[in-house]
Amino acid sequence: MLLLVPAALLVVLVLASIAVDMALVHLRHRQAHDLAAAAANDAAGAAADPAALRAGAHRPDPARAEAVAHQVVAASQLADDVVGAPVVRVRGDQVEVEIRVEADYVFAGVVPGAPDGTTVTARASATLRPGPGG
Amino acid sequence: MSGAHCGDRGRRSRWGGDAGAVGGIEALPFGILTFVVGALLVTNLWAVVDAKLAVDAAARQATRRYVEADVAGPGGTARAERDAVAAGLAALGAHGRDPTRATVALTSLEGTGGRTGYSRCARATFTATYRVPALSIPWIGGFGSGVEVTGRHSELVDPYRSGVPGSATACG
Repeated sequence: MLLLVPAALLVVLVLASIAVDMALVHLRHRQAHDLAAAAANDAAGAAADPAALRAGAHRPDPARAEAVAHQVVAASQLADDVVGAPVVRVRGDQVEVEIRVEADYVFAGVVPGAPDGTTVTARASATLRPGPGG
Repeated sequence: MSGAHCGDRGRRSRWGGDAGAVGGIEALPFGILTFVVGALLVTNLWAVVDAKLAVDAAARQATRRYVEADVAGPGGTARAERDAVAAGLAALGAHGRDPTRATVALTSLEGTGGRTGYSRCARATFTATYRVPALSIPWIGGFGSGVEVTGRHSELVDPYRSGVPGSATACG
């Protein structure tokens, strides 16, 4: 019966390890979302089409929006963990950025056959609108 | 007389042999030691993960505050940087972290089109660091120097915002 005590404690530790790994995935998702939001925000502002602005329309230029989003992701702390290139979509006055980031597990890797990590996807959008002064 | 003799014999049999010993009792200290060490490892890792969330939020808040700051007037950019650092530390405090263990600083401000300092399209990067104690005990506090957790965030100063000198056409 006493032999069950170390086994029970081990089960508690394994559950705690799973909790930490899941927390790491959650952290990566938060970071990916922050990065996508920053990229979308910068792309919406810096990629505004000057000719359209002069005409009173607020419309981001798709090519510039993509270039700005790529620069933001490349300059980020997460750059090494980003999977593929960020996907940038421009719809009217809105810029949407989607990025995929690798999240490594700490404990799951020691289990034979278990994956070393997973990939999280985050999407954020920003809308180009005139400020209070027009 | 006979009863005393029986008692002596009973005591000898209880302490002299293995009869009555509980099998596997030596596993208890091992299990508890494993549990304590494992629990410390897991809680310390969790503290690092939680601190990472906090420093990321602090760096983001500081950067947002900086790129949206009103920099008009003398000392405007210095005031914007002070306010941004204060906003970052406040974000850490709101996460339940001790701001005295943290630093928030403007680590980079890269202008475009040959411009320097706070200008349109400049990329501002703030870095927040927090020293996580090696061992944290509830209600008592942290011990040991621990590990330093860093978060970094960068954003562009809006090219079309008001209150910043220069023109957006130079952004390229």
